[in-house]
Amino acid sequence: MLEIRRLEFGYGDNTRPDMVFDLDVAAGEVLSLIGPSGSGKSTLLSLIAGFLTPAAGQILLDGVAIEKLAAASRPVSIVFQQHNLFPHLDLYTNVALGIDPSLRLTSAQTASVNEALARLDLAGLQSRKPGALSGGQRQRVALARALVRRRKILLLDEAFAALGPAQRAEMIGLVKDLVRENGMAALLVSHQPRDALIASARTAFVNAGRIAALEPTERLLEQSDLPEVREYLGSM
Amino acid sequence: MNPRAIPAGLILCLLAMLVLVPLAGLVNLGTLPGYESGDLQFWHSAYIRRVLFFSLWQAILSTLFSVVPAILVARAFALQPAFPLRGVLLRLFALPLVVPSVVAVMGVVSVYGSDGWLPLGRTLYGLAGILLAHVFFNLPLAVRLLLPLWQSIPRRHWHLAEQLDMNAWQRWRFLEWPALREGLPGVMLLVFMLCLTSFAVVLTLGGGPKSTTLEVAIYQSLRFDFEPTRAVVLALLQLCLCLLVAGLTLKLQRLPEVEITIDEASTAVKPVYRPLQLLLISLAAIYVAMPLVSMLLDALAGPLAQVISNSALWRSIANTLFIGLSAALASVVAGWLLLRYSASLALAGLVGRARLVELSGSIVYVVPPLVIGTGLFVLLSPHVDVFGWVYPIVIAVNALMGLPFVIRSLGPALRQNHARYDRLCQSLALSGWSRLRYVEWPLLRRPLGLAMALVAALAMGDLGVIALFGTPNTATLTLLIYQQLGAYLIADATVTALLLLLLCLTVFWLLERGIGGRADA
Repeated sequence: MLEIRRLEFGYGDNTRPDMVFDLDVAAGEVLSLIGPSGSGKSTLLSLIAGFLTPAAGQILLDGVAIEKLAAASRPVSIVFQQHNLFPHLDLYTNVALGIDPSLRLTSAQTASVNEALARLDLAGLQSRKPGALSGGQRQRVALARALVRRRKILLLDEAFAALGPAQRAEMIGLVKDLVRENGMAALLVSHQPRDALIASARTAFVNAGRIAALEPTERLLEQSDLPEVREYLGSM
Repeated sequence: MNPRAIPAGLILCLLAMLVLVPLAGLVNLGTLPGYESGDLQFWHSAYIRRVLFFSLWQAILSTLFSVVPAILVARAFALQPAFPLRGVLLRLFALPLVVPSVVAVMGVVSVYGSDGWLPLGRTLYGLAGILLAHVFFNLPLAVRLLLPLWQSIPRRHWHLAEQLDMNAWQRWRFLEWPALREGLPGVMLLVFMLCLTSFAVVLTLGGGPKSTTLEVAIYQSLRFDFEPTRAVVLALLQLCLCLLVAGLTLKLQRLPEVEITIDEASTAVKPVYRPLQLLLISLAAIYVAMPLVSMLLDALAGPLAQVISNSALWRSIANTLFIGLSAALASVVAGWLLLRYSASLALAGLVGRARLVELSGSIVYVVPPLVIGTGLFVLLSPHVDVFGWVYPIVIAVNALMGLPFVIRSLGPALRQNHARYDRLCQSLALSGWSRLRYVEWPLLRRPLGLAMALVAALAMGDLGVIALFGTPNTATLTLLIYQQLGAYLIADATVTALLLLLLCLTVFWLLERGIGGRADA
């Protein structure tokens, strides 16, 4: 479904790209990206989302190239670790912005916002401001907005890093359900190998701007022969 | 007992004396020479109403004409994080902070006067001229205060806005206005207060019966009309207004603490707006640069040799340097002692008391220097020759005026330094000179240099208390310019203004670099 074909990115005027990525994610799959800080995980997500412009390469969704599209036109929703919500707006408005930033919603769209909030156990909290919620609830709101946007690609950039282990596991379970139900392709960046175990059948190890390994998660975490993977996991 | 309490307590006592004693002099009307109870009837006079109305009207208009364009210009700077000369233009917008008021006035006269590039004729001397000069000072100040509000919007929010396909109006509504409305009342009130207490601009460009503010009326009552009772009543009225504005500021204030990061690339903007925003920035930059360039050209074509050969100029330069440097030193020492005490109180958990100690340094926001000067004038004049006391009075009041700048520049760094290293220093028994040399000086020299440079420039360019107490022998350059203007020696005044500007910039640069060191130090 989502194919990354020799996607290159470089800082400054370097003729040689600093990063080159190749990757595939199937419909309904959550692919985890792990690796040391600065290895290029978040850069890859920014390239897919359209916040950064690649020097070369392709991003294909169901065979259609999307790398030339503006960020707003890409079939992508992204959830960050923080600053996903506008603190001065209530939950309903934060989610409704995902459908139409002018907030002129039809009754069907209003119903879909309420359904998404209910699906994420946030029913009845529509009029609350983000400051009145727990960290987990705030990330649920961000997921609710991703749900109403109905985009095919979901990017999670250390989205649950600030949560405790139990809450992380719960949120990852929720993401897996949403991705499967809606036939999305999801990429999950995390610093916790345990997140990858829960979330993904396959995990990519990113190192020095390359996908150094892409294997079944258990095999990558427990039996990988790559010294950089062992070093990374040993340092955890 | 906290060893820092004694020096800080002494400073607090001095502050209290400097403010409360003159206030006591003001309140004690009955002791004024020649006072009669009938004197107070002019409370109800048309004169008071006119002066009060004009003070408020020019301050309101100046605030609107400064802050509204500043919002557009700050937004343009924020949305255009990378264009040639951006850093240079932002530095240009810091220049009015160190440009003395009379120099700006000369620049305004040079551009908009009858021989200027954009002549306004007689209308320059009145509300129009006052507004032009106030906008010159306050538009750049407001831009620099408002820009950090845009920079406080998380980068992730810009990304979200981009992904949610928000148009310019929606970005303004959901991202920019919520950030701006936090700080806007504080910025507007600050600009209003600066215009309300503006003295040199109104004295030189206004001052006639139709365009006199409370500050100028106080000065005229004392120095021209010899009516201390009227001066006192006007000073009390000004004090009440300032207390009101200060109260509102305390309630609404949230001045941005973030320093401008000149190279910060916070967001992208659709290319269609770029020319419009660059045009806005250019117009604002031209507005700020034009008076300075015009004054420079006029001064270079002026009677330079004649002005330089005048012994009064050199005497004034010496007075300016003496007053500026002494006030800066006094202000920085007082600020340092207050801040050290405040930081130690905060570390001990006495946050309320710590804040109070810091706030005491900003008392000049509430009690304007000219009000203090008036109090001292009426209090001392029956007993001593006040003009013989010019140096200590002017230095003390200017040091007091500079104290808020010291607290604002030095405070954050000193608090952070204290919170990080105080316990470590205690455990290493690092105190006194060793602590100053190895811990405090290296970490605080940059904000200290900036604070000292700012206060020196401010004091050297002040035409307030010196106008009350100064004589030809003790005149500073600002007073000399005012005297030259009064004698219609406009060309001489322009040359003197250029020399004052060069002197202020040189002293600022030397102090900032000499004390603060190089940027990469």
